[in-house]
Amino acid sequence: MNSSVENNISEKKDFVVSSSSLKDVRSFSREVFSKVNLNQDLKDELVLAIAEAAQNIVKHAYQNQETDDKMEIKISLDNGELEIGFFDKGRPVDNSNVRHRKIDDVKPGGLGTFFIKQIMDAVVFKEGEKPWINHLILTKKINY
Amino acid sequence: MSYKVTEENNVSIVHLDGEIDMDVTEKAKEVIMPLIEAKKEVHLNLKDVQYMDSSGISVLIESHQKATELGTKVVLKDISKSVLKVIMMAKLEQILNLG
Repeated sequence: MNSSVENNISEKKDFVVSSSSLKDVRSFSREVFSKVNLNQDLKDELVLAIAEAAQNIVKHAYQNQETDDKMEIKISLDNGELEIGFFDKGRPVDNSNVRHRKIDDVKPGGLGTFFIKQIMDAVVFKEGEKPWINHLILTKKINY
Repeated sequence: MSYKVTEENNVSIVHLDGEIDMDVTEKAKEVIMPLIEAKKEVHLNLKDVQYMDSSGISVLIESHQKATELGTKVVLKDISKSVLKVIMMAKLEQILNLG
Protein backbone atom coordinates (compact mmCIF):
# COMPACT_ATOMS: atom_id res chain seq x y z
CA MET A 1 0.00 0.00 0.00
CA ASN A 2 1.23 3.48 -0.87
CA SER A 3 2.15 5.10 2.44
CA SER A 4 1.59 8.58 0.97
CA VAL A 5 -2.14 7.86 0.56
CA GLU A 6 -4.20 9.12 3.51
CA ASN A 7 -7.80 8.67 4.50
CA ASN A 8 -8.05 11.73 6.72
CA ILE A 9 -7.27 15.20 5.41
CA SER A 10 -8.12 18.81 6.07
CA GLU A 11 -6.86 21.46 3.70
CA LYS A 12 -8.04 24.92 2.80
CA LYS A 13 -7.11 27.63 0.34
CA ASP A 14 -8.24 31.14 -0.62
CA PHE A 15 -9.09 32.16 -4.16
CA VAL A 16 -9.96 35.52 -5.67
CA VAL A 17 -13.67 35.51 -6.53
CA SER A 18 -13.38 35.39 -10.32
CA SER A 19 -14.13 32.99 -13.14
CA SER A 20 -10.40 32.99 -13.87
CA SER A 21 -9.84 31.32 -10.47
CA LEU A 22 -11.91 28.27 -11.35
CA LYS A 23 -8.96 26.41 -12.89
CA ASP A 24 -7.01 27.03 -9.69
CA VAL A 25 -9.96 25.73 -7.67
CA ARG A 26 -9.88 22.55 -9.75
CA SER A 27 -6.10 22.22 -9.39
CA PHE A 28 -6.34 22.60 -5.60
CA SER A 29 -9.16 20.04 -5.42
CA ARG A 30 -7.29 17.54 -7.61
CA GLU A 31 -4.17 18.00 -5.53
CA VAL A 32 -6.07 17.35 -2.29
CA PHE A 33 -7.90 14.31 -3.69
CA SER A 34 -4.63 12.91 -5.07
CA LYS A 35 -3.67 12.29 -1.43
CA VAL A 36 -6.67 10.11 -0.61
CA ASN A 37 -7.71 6.68 -1.64
CA LEU A 38 -10.78 7.29 -3.81
CA ASN A 39 -11.57 5.99 -7.27
CA GLN A 40 -10.82 8.39 -10.11
CA ASP A 41 -14.45 8.70 -11.27
CA LEU A 42 -15.49 9.87 -7.81
CA LYS A 43 -12.56 12.28 -7.64
CA ASP A 44 -13.62 13.77 -10.99
CA GLU A 45 -17.21 14.16 -9.78
CA LEU A 46 -16.09 15.83 -6.55
CA VAL A 47 -13.87 18.26 -8.48
CA LEU A 48 -16.89 19.12 -10.67
CA ALA A 49 -19.12 19.69 -7.62
CA ILE A 50 -16.51 21.95 -5.99
CA ALA A 51 -15.94 23.94 -9.19
CA GLU A 52 -19.71 24.35 -9.68
CA ALA A 53 -20.13 25.64 -6.13
CA ALA A 54 -17.24 28.08 -6.63
CA GLN A 55 -18.79 29.18 -9.91
CA ASN A 56 -22.08 29.84 -8.11
CA ILE A 57 -20.26 32.18 -5.72
CA VAL A 58 -18.86 34.13 -8.70
CA LYS A 59 -22.20 34.19 -10.53
CA HIS A 60 -24.70 34.58 -7.74
CA ALA A 61 -23.09 35.85 -4.52
CA TYR A 62 -21.05 38.37 -6.55
CA GLN A 63 -23.26 38.54 -9.66
CA ASN A 64 -20.16 38.33 -11.92
CA GLN A 65 -18.88 41.65 -10.57
CA GLU A 66 -15.15 42.20 -10.39
CA THR A 67 -13.84 42.11 -6.85
CA ASP A 68 -10.65 41.70 -4.87
CA ASP A 69 -12.57 39.62 -2.31
CA LYS A 70 -11.48 36.10 -1.71
CA MET A 71 -13.45 32.94 -1.12
CA GLU A 72 -12.14 30.12 1.00
CA ILE A 73 -12.57 26.44 0.22
CA LYS A 74 -11.92 23.84 2.87
CA ILE A 75 -11.86 20.12 2.09
CA SER A 76 -11.98 17.74 5.05
CA LEU A 77 -12.20 13.98 5.09
CA ASP A 78 -12.53 12.32 8.46
CA ASN A 79 -13.30 8.62 8.76
CA GLY A 80 -15.25 8.49 5.53
CA GLU A 81 -17.14 11.75 6.08
CA LEU A 82 -16.24 14.23 3.38
CA GLU A 83 -17.10 17.85 4.11
CA ILE A 84 -16.38 20.68 1.70
CA GLY A 85 -16.87 24.19 3.04
CA PHE A 86 -17.16 27.36 0.95
CA PHE A 87 -16.90 30.75 2.61
CA ASP A 88 -17.54 34.06 0.86
CA LYS A 89 -18.32 37.70 1.60
CA GLY A 90 -20.79 38.26 -1.23
CA ARG A 91 -24.50 38.93 -1.27
CA PRO A 92 -26.26 36.83 1.38
CA VAL A 93 -27.70 33.69 -0.15
CA ASP A 94 -31.37 33.07 0.45
CA ASN A 95 -31.52 29.32 0.89
CA SER A 96 -35.12 29.19 -0.35
CA ASN A 97 -34.01 30.67 -3.70
CA VAL A 98 -31.37 28.03 -4.33
CA ARG A 99 -32.81 25.48 -6.69
CA HIS A 100 -31.89 23.96 -10.00
CA ARG A 101 -34.09 24.16 -13.04
CA LYS A 102 -36.29 21.23 -13.97
CA ILE A 103 -33.98 18.86 -15.77
CA ASP A 104 -36.46 18.16 -18.60
CA ASP A 105 -36.77 21.90 -19.28
CA VAL A 106 -33.82 21.99 -21.66
CA LYS A 107 -32.25 25.41 -21.71
CA PRO A 108 -28.81 26.85 -21.06
CA GLY A 109 -28.05 27.54 -17.39
CA GLY A 110 -29.25 26.24 -14.05
CA LEU A 111 -27.37 22.96 -14.22
CA GLY A 112 -24.59 23.67 -11.72
CA THR A 113 -26.75 23.21 -8.64
CA PHE A 114 -28.29 20.12 -10.22
CA PHE A 115 -24.82 18.59 -10.66
CA ILE A 116 -23.86 19.43 -7.07
CA LYS A 117 -27.01 17.76 -5.74
CA GLN A 118 -26.45 14.71 -7.97
CA ILE A 119 -22.90 14.26 -6.68
CA MET A 120 -23.15 15.17 -3.00
CA ASP A 121 -25.35 13.72 -0.25
CA ALA A 122 -26.26 17.06 1.32
CA VAL A 123 -26.04 20.76 0.50
CA VAL A 124 -26.50 23.18 3.42
CA PHE A 125 -26.30 26.98 3.44
CA LYS A 126 -25.43 28.68 6.69
CA GLU A 127 -24.85 32.24 7.66
CA GLY A 128 -21.07 32.66 7.73
CA GLU A 129 -19.24 33.52 10.92
CA LYS A 130 -17.37 36.83 10.71
CA PRO A 131 -15.73 37.87 8.44
CA TRP A 132 -17.71 35.60 6.13
CA ILE A 133 -21.26 36.24 4.91
CA ASN A 134 -22.10 32.85 3.41
CA HIS A 135 -21.01 29.36 4.41
CA LEU A 136 -21.98 26.53 2.08
CA ILE A 137 -21.37 22.99 3.28
CA LEU A 138 -21.35 20.02 0.91
CA THR A 139 -21.13 16.58 2.49
CA LYS A 140 -20.79 13.04 1.25
CA LYS A 141 -20.29 9.70 2.92
CA ILE A 142 -17.35 7.95 1.30
CA ASN A 143 -17.50 4.17 1.06
CA TYR A 144 -14.02 2.75 0.59
CA MET B 1 -9.03 26.15 -24.04
CA SER B 2 -7.71 26.25 -27.56
CA TYR B 3 -9.47 25.47 -30.80
CA LYS B 4 -9.00 24.81 -34.50
CA VAL B 5 -11.64 25.16 -37.20
CA THR B 6 -11.46 23.12 -40.39
CA GLU B 7 -13.86 22.76 -43.30
CA GLU B 8 -14.77 19.48 -44.92
CA ASN B 9 -17.57 18.83 -47.45
CA ASN B 10 -19.38 22.00 -46.40
CA VAL B 11 -19.23 21.00 -42.74
CA SER B 12 -17.38 23.18 -40.24
CA ILE B 13 -15.41 21.07 -37.80
CA VAL B 14 -14.43 22.76 -34.55
CA HIS B 15 -11.74 20.91 -32.60
CA LEU B 16 -11.85 22.05 -28.99
CA ASP B 17 -8.95 21.34 -26.69
CA GLY B 18 -8.48 21.74 -22.94
CA GLU B 19 -10.91 22.54 -20.15
CA ILE B 20 -14.20 24.30 -20.84
CA ASP B 21 -15.52 26.27 -17.90
CA MET B 22 -17.27 29.58 -17.25
CA ASP B 23 -14.05 31.46 -17.95
CA VAL B 24 -13.88 30.34 -21.60
CA THR B 25 -17.51 29.94 -22.62
CA GLU B 26 -17.66 33.36 -24.30
CA LYS B 27 -14.60 32.44 -26.37
CA ALA B 28 -16.20 29.11 -27.32
CA LYS B 29 -19.43 30.84 -28.34
CA GLU B 30 -17.51 33.41 -30.40
CA VAL B 31 -16.07 30.52 -32.40
CA ILE B 32 -19.18 28.36 -32.74
CA MET B 33 -22.10 30.78 -33.07
CA PRO B 34 -21.02 32.60 -36.26
CA LEU B 35 -20.70 29.24 -38.03
CA ILE B 36 -24.24 28.32 -36.98
CA GLU B 37 -25.53 31.76 -37.93
CA ALA B 38 -23.98 31.18 -41.38
CA LYS B 39 -26.29 28.11 -41.42
CA LYS B 40 -23.41 25.68 -41.64
CA GLU B 41 -23.55 22.19 -40.23
CA VAL B 42 -21.11 22.24 -37.32
CA HIS B 43 -19.28 19.26 -35.87
CA LEU B 44 -17.74 19.83 -32.45
CA ASN B 45 -14.84 17.45 -31.91
CA LEU B 46 -14.55 16.94 -28.15
CA LYS B 47 -11.82 14.29 -28.11
CA ASP B 48 -9.33 16.59 -26.42
CA VAL B 49 -11.68 18.26 -23.95
CA GLN B 50 -10.61 16.86 -20.59
CA TYR B 51 -13.12 18.77 -18.48
CA MET B 52 -16.45 20.47 -19.05
CA ASP B 53 -18.70 22.04 -16.43
CA SER B 54 -22.29 23.28 -16.53
CA SER B 55 -21.21 26.43 -18.40
CA GLY B 56 -19.74 24.29 -21.17
CA ILE B 57 -22.90 22.20 -21.27
CA SER B 58 -24.87 25.45 -21.64
CA VAL B 59 -22.81 26.28 -24.74
CA LEU B 60 -23.69 22.87 -26.20
CA ILE B 61 -27.41 23.41 -25.49
CA GLU B 62 -27.37 26.96 -26.85
CA SER B 63 -25.55 25.85 -30.01
CA HIS B 64 -27.96 22.97 -30.54
CA GLN B 65 -31.01 25.17 -30.07
CA LYS B 66 -29.69 27.94 -32.33
CA ALA B 67 -28.85 25.43 -35.06
CA THR B 68 -32.29 23.85 -34.84
CA GLU B 69 -33.90 27.29 -35.05
CA LEU B 70 -31.90 28.07 -38.21
CA GLY B 71 -32.52 24.71 -39.86
CA THR B 72 -29.03 23.30 -39.48
CA LYS B 73 -27.40 21.08 -36.86
CA VAL B 74 -24.55 20.72 -34.41
CA VAL B 75 -23.12 17.22 -34.03
CA LEU B 76 -20.85 16.27 -31.13
CA LYS B 77 -18.00 14.03 -32.32
CA ASP B 78 -15.39 11.87 -30.56
CA ILE B 79 -16.71 12.88 -27.16
CA SER B 80 -14.17 12.30 -24.40
CA LYS B 81 -15.18 10.05 -21.52
CA SER B 82 -15.26 12.91 -19.02
CA VAL B 83 -17.45 15.12 -21.24
CA LEU B 84 -19.82 12.24 -22.02
CA LYS B 85 -20.23 11.64 -18.31
CA VAL B 86 -21.31 15.25 -17.76
CA ILE B 87 -23.67 15.16 -20.76
CA MET B 88 -25.27 12.04 -19.30
CA MET B 89 -25.44 13.58 -15.83
CA ALA B 90 -27.40 16.43 -17.44
CA LYS B 91 -29.60 13.81 -19.18
CA LEU B 92 -28.87 15.35 -22.57
CA GLU B 93 -27.69 12.29 -24.47
CA GLN B 94 -31.10 11.94 -26.15
CA ILE B 95 -31.40 15.63 -26.91
CA LEU B 96 -28.02 16.69 -28.31
CA ASN B 97 -26.77 15.09 -31.55
CA LEU B 98 -24.09 12.62 -30.53
CA GLY B 99 -22.32 11.42 -33.65
